[in-house]
Amino acid sequence: MYNAILFAALVWVTLLLVGGGLALVRARDVLQRVIAFDSLAALVIALLAMLSYLRDVGYYLDAAVALALLSFTATVAAARYLASGGPFG
Amino acid sequence: MISAVLDVIGGVLLFLGLTLMTISLYGILRRPDTYGQLHAQGLATGPGVIAVLASSVGTENAAIITFAVLAIGFVVLTSPVSGHAIARAAAHRRRAAGGRDAAR
Repeated sequence: MYNAILFAALVWVTLLLVGGGLALVRARDVLQRVIAFDSLAALVIALLAMLSYLRDVGYYLDAAVALALLSFTATVAAARYLASGGPFG
Repeated sequence: MISAVLDVIGGVLLFLGLTLMTISLYGILRRPDTYGQLHAQGLATGPGVIAVLASSVGTENAAIITFAVLAIGFVVLTSPVSGHAIARAAAHRRRAAGGRDAAR
């Protein structure tokens, strides 16, 4: 793939990250903050994948999978805590 | 020949994924209530990330494509579960607060 396209995509995702931070600041409810955090994690996963394509090494995708696992766990734990006051309730 | 086709497919999928993420972020910023924001966020964490990861076919690197397929499977499994957990929490909070428009 052409490096110029990937560079433009990286710039685009960085601008989207700024917008995600704006959504995190503008959230009025704690669940809206959870939603904005999850969407920020998805943006960082895409950023790591594109960095992996640009550098042509697969190691960045390890970090992307680990980040997906961590963000899934954090989102489910926070949502269950907010729903019932405990992780197993 | 096949390399050019894969380049074009990868570029189109990358553009599609970034467009979906942009639409999703616009929805999150515009929607006032939690359910609307959750509806918009599902577009980024599901199809947006999947399209960006699927654009790894453009790199023609076996290691990268294998890990991208693994990550796609993981996202397909986890994204609906986390969305369901958030929606359940929102419904529970609205029920606890009482009334239809208690959870903004």
